[in-house]
Amino acid sequence: MLDIRRISSSRWWHKKKNWIIFGILLFLAFARISKGSIYKDFYYFVSRPFWPGQFQNEIILESIDQEYLIKLNLLKKDNIRLRELLYLQESTNNNAITAAVISRKTGGWWRQIILNKGSKDGVQIGSIVMGPGGLLGRVNNTSLFTSSVKLLTSPESKIGVWVDRIEMSGLLIGSGDDYPNLILYSKDADIKVGDFVSSSPASTLLPPNLPIGIVKSIDKQFKAETTAKILLLAKPQVIDWVQILKVKINE
Amino acid sequence: MNKFFTKNFSITFFIFIPIIFLWHPSWLGLFGIQPYWPLFWLLPWSMINGSINGLIFGFFLGLILDSVSLESNFTQIPGLVLCGFWFGRIRIHVDILVEHFRYGLVCSLGSFLCGSLYFLQILSKNFSDSAFLLFIPSFQNILAEVFLTGLFAPLICSQLLRIFKLSREKHGNKFRKE
Repeated sequence: MLDIRRISSSRWWHKKKNWIIFGILLFLAFARISKGSIYKDFYYFVSRPFWPGQFQNEIILESIDQEYLIKLNLLKKDNIRLRELLYLQESTNNNAITAAVISRKTGGWWRQIILNKGSKDGVQIGSIVMGPGGLLGRVNNTSLFTSSVKLLTSPESKIGVWVDRIEMSGLLIGSGDDYPNLILYSKDADIKVGDFVSSSPASTLLPPNLPIGIVKSIDKQFKAETTAKILLLAKPQVIDWVQILKVKINE
Repeated sequence: MNKFFTKNFSITFFIFIPIIFLWHPSWLGLFGIQPYWPLFWLLPWSMINGSINGLIFGFFLGLILDSVSLESNFTQIPGLVLCGFWFGRIRIHVDILVEHFRYGLVCSLGSFLCGSLYFLQILSKNFSDSAFLLFIPSFQNILAEVFLTGLFAPLICSQLLRIFKLSREKHGNKFRKE
């Protein structure tokens, strides 16, 4: 009788150790079938305090910038190649002259800057003047040592522009204040504050895709036109150095 | 050469007008707008030399300033010619205080006249393509210019008038005095 009791108490499911081993095997099977998802989720919570901080973020952003720069250069090359194929204007040109602003009239009716590079340095009438941010204006007059630039805010300035989001051409007219007016010849133009404005691909005066400004406010629509005020990206009031682009425009 | 310039202070200052027009000192401006510099010279010079001389030198000033500014469609000549002629008809007042206030008032009105004529040219040029309405807000340029010209005129015009009179007296020319 005593022997029978001993046998019955020694069955495997009566042993705690066996159940532990069974549990471990079951867990391993689940982990294998779920491809370790439970581990990963667990690791997510455990490692959270040690995630990459600001320093890591900067490195990543720098890498992203480099990536964009490389992509931009590739796209530029593509753009030049395709434009050559289609006999369109060049959008980039490395013939840039750096010049200092020696006179600045950015208020009132006369809005112009005078640069310290003139015809002696190869500046030509019609050359494009770029400041940090974007387009400032065009060279309107040159002397031997200086060149005068008519700013986009001048009442005499009229250039063709392109609103990228709505893919529509318009006319940018200087009006004697700091915010030139954009005229779109459509009453239903879906223009919004913050839209980016660049030089028009159809312009005969400027190369395409030069950044100009963003839409600051939209005026009331009248007749068949929509007008808006443009905030220029390049600020002629504070810029001391500019780049004159010797761009060949196919008239 | 030095003797020529000391003899002809008015010519020396005349040469400086386009330079200060180009210099455009921002610390003297309001909202980026400057006083209308040529009037500070034209007023004392016309008061001493009369209407016809004022008209002629107003024309010369307009020519020079038009050439240093880039606007080829608009001109400053009509305003300066009218101002030169008008300033020549103004007599020098005996009371110094009244005279100072009068310089401010006359230069403000002159600046308003020149600014308005320039503004009308811009409006008429853009009248055909219905964009002229966009230029209306820039009327503030005239107001700021009028204010600044009136503010600086008593100081600058009185000094220039004194210098021109002394220069003229030294060389035997009598100026008109009421």
